[in-house]
Amino acid sequence: MEIKEIINSGLLETYVMGVATAEETAQVLLLKKQSPEFGDALDQLEYDMELLAQGMAIEPPSGLFKKIEDEVNEIQLRERGLTNRPYYEDFEKDSQDKNTRERYIEVESESNQMRIHKAWRWVFAAVFILGKIFLATAIYFYLESKQAKEQLEMLKTEMRQIKAENR
Amino acid sequence: MFNAVFNVPSAEPMDIRWFYNKYAAMLLGYINGIVQDHQKAEDQMAFILTSFAKEFNVQESNNLNIWFQLRQYAQRKLAAQTIPMCIEPRQTKNLEVLSELEKEIFCAVYYSGKSIAYLAVTLKKNEDEIRNQLRLSVDKMRRVRGN
Repeated sequence: MEIKEIINSGLLETYVMGVATAEETAQVLLLKKQSPEFGDALDQLEYDMELLAQGMAIEPPSGLFKKIEDEVNEIQLRERGLTNRPYYEDFEKDSQDKNTRERYIEVESESNQMRIHKAWRWVFAAVFILGKIFLATAIYFYLESKQAKEQLEMLKTEMRQIKAENR
Repeated sequence: MFNAVFNVPSAEPMDIRWFYNKYAAMLLGYINGIVQDHQKAEDQMAFILTSFAKEFNVQESNNLNIWFQLRQYAQRKLAAQTIPMCIEPRQTKNLEVLSELEKEIFCAVYYSGKSIAYLAVTLKKNEDEIRNQLRLSVDKMRRVRGN
């Protein structure tokens, strides 16, 4: 088939529209290398399709680029891990931490410790001392009570003996 | 200043602004033809342009038409949302020179990325005829534009 026939077969349009099969794409790329006429026709068609798209263009609203730019900047910063630190600080820190990260697995943990104000130590000391006082008092009254019971028992025994002697 | 402070590389010849200035309007027109909803088209355009600019490789794409690649990229991203009909008034204005069959084939290929084989089966025509109709539709529009 002659080049002109191939150009007029619709192969170029199929390729430029992006619906060519793998075989057709290979044929177009081969012909582009082999035939300057075919290459020129392809370039011209691509250019014309661009002009056609320009004819169908719709001007975007004025604020749209700012929106895109902000999004791109945000993505770039997120990807580079830049928050408020200069780049070289990240680089140094990264290289220092690299070995540590390779040796350890990061796990999420929860602390068992609690932090309280220093003033509470006087309260804890007072509670401790009062506890000791209450304990000593309780032991004292327990022994007193025990002694009183013993004396009472002795008195009862004596009274019984006196009663028995009187009879 | 912002970029300098955070050591973000300064604008390359093909940064997001370059892509926006050159292709945003064309891409919005193209996407609007696919999704048939202006607000959706704006959102999709912003997303597609951003991701394309990020993924675009100047070295690899030196010999390829950027609009060609960008349009195909958008077509792939919007594959699930295509409406294979040219019903939007602004679009039909540009396509009014085409016959109904040409318009149907052009829109199915250009906006929806339907293959020639698929259209041949759907329209009960052979593939050569579909290719020929596609070529004729493009030729007609090129002539109207004086190309």
